[in-house]
Amino acid sequence: MPIHDQGYRRYQGDRAAAGRAWQVIAQAGVRGIISQRKFLFLLLLAWAPFIVRAVQVYLAANFQQASFLAPRADTFREFMDQQGVFVFFVTIYVGAGLIAADRRANALQLYLSKPLTRFEYVAGKMAILFLFLLLVTWAPAISLLVVQIAFAGSFTFFLAHLFLLPAITLFALVQILLAATTMLALSSMSKSSRFVGIMYAGVMFFTSALFNAVRGITRSSGLAWISPSAALEQLGDVIFRLPPRYDLPPFVAGLTVLGLIAVSVLILERRVRGVEVVT
Amino acid sequence: MTSALPTATPAAPSYWTASRRVFELSLGEMLWSRRTIFMALVVGGPVILAIVFRLVEWFGLPALRVNGVRVEGAAIFGVMIWMLFVRFIVPVLGVFYGTALMADEVEDKTITYLFTRPIPRGAVLLGKYLAYLACTILVVLPSVMLVYFAVVPFGQIPATFGQLVADLGILAAGLAVYGALFAFIGAWLKRPVLVGLVFAFGWEPVVVALPGYLKQFTVAYYLQALVPHTMPSDGAMSVLQSFFQQAPPLWVSLAWLTGYLVVFLVLAARIVERKEYVLEQ
Repeated sequence: MPIHDQGYRRYQGDRAAAGRAWQVIAQAGVRGIISQRKFLFLLLLAWAPFIVRAVQVYLAANFQQASFLAPRADTFREFMDQQGVFVFFVTIYVGAGLIAADRRANALQLYLSKPLTRFEYVAGKMAILFLFLLLVTWAPAISLLVVQIAFAGSFTFFLAHLFLLPAITLFALVQILLAATTMLALSSMSKSSRFVGIMYAGVMFFTSALFNAVRGITRSSGLAWISPSAALEQLGDVIFRLPPRYDLPPFVAGLTVLGLIAVSVLILERRVRGVEVVT
Repeated sequence: MTSALPTATPAAPSYWTASRRVFELSLGEMLWSRRTIFMALVVGGPVILAIVFRLVEWFGLPALRVNGVRVEGAAIFGVMIWMLFVRFIVPVLGVFYGTALMADEVEDKTITYLFTRPIPRGAVLLGKYLAYLACTILVVLPSVMLVYFAVVPFGQIPATFGQLVADLGILAAGLAVYGALFAFIGAWLKRPVLVGLVFAFGWEPVVVALPGYLKQFTVAYYLQALVPHTMPSDGAMSVLQSFFQQAPPLWVSLAWLTGYLVVFLVLAARIVERKEYVLEQ
């Protein structure tokens, strides 16, 4: 009977380059979400407005009588606004359990005992949410731009509105960053993904309801910074070179969004730890 | 000499007694949990807002003047009831607590302890539902009272007190019906929160603003018909809603709300009686 050496042996396998461990978390997370039929249905639903808009662009490009449907710069802004609903639901579906589930299963300690930094862990989790949110914001908006060029058979509209490409990209990035950091921060604060989902809905809807109540009473929208959604809308109008919808200076809207992102990052920094030291 | 051993087993408690015991157990859990912090934050928001309005009013700042005319305290209270309580707080608390009634026990793997008791399974749901109702009513209604007394000037209280009583009744009815609906969803589905949020903040606000019969498949349509204050216009949906508004008579609204309450509670209890809950390993 052979007796195997039980002593220490160096790891012989391949080593991943430092700083790439987040990709493993991201890949595993994406695979896990993609395999759920309900989520695919939600993703499909999120592309329904794109199909409606594509038909609109087709009709405007090919029928003189439907020329009033021709897309303008604000069509893309409206489209991004409409996608906000799907951003909300995808954020809850994908993001609520991202850290909460690990905390519930006490997996955080396991993760962080591997050659993986806290930053890489959060980056991996964020990449999952980021990817799916790109799929419901940036991807359909850019596709719509491409569809416009294809149906019109010319680059006239695109060249006349060259700012749309960076505007769509920038707004999508801001929107995604806000949703993803807020959700991850909330997810790191609880062990129940249901609770996280409700907290996120609370943050978004409650602040909107509060702002609407204040606006209804004072007939002024100067306090739009109360609601992150309203601040984001204001920022979106500025990015798309449209007249802002609220009486709120754009820099205040920007500060609100940045502030919420900063607070979320701070929460993540404090909550994502391998060992919680209780003093 | 041998002593006689007791042979008769004690009778199982009745449905109502079992519900009462679960209610007593759950009420303490609900009131002294971290969830209550969330609820306190949600209902504390309007109170803080009301105090801010009162301070603004005291210092005579122009924020509460529209075209030079001072906004009445009763009007401010009406806006807050519509925007914050009827449209947000009542549905969100319904989703939050209603979906959690059974799902919490499943998630914490403690449902086994309840189901192995000699009580009907439906009584577990009923007891928890009653605890939810008591807990939310105990927190929400005092918050409304605080908002009322902070916002409405003393001189207007005799004229508007009836409206306050009506508001309290409407909010209690809303909590009861939404709670029953989401208890049913929570007992039935695996991902109840998302479905609940879609229903409360996706389906209802859209359908209520549309013409036709679809609005009858909402709780909001009947609940909002009872609100004694004028609906504020805060966007395209509100304008559409007021355009297509066909407020049902009081008795119709009450009948539908009662119907929803009973039907969803019975359905939820039946599901709990029959469903096999699989605990994640």
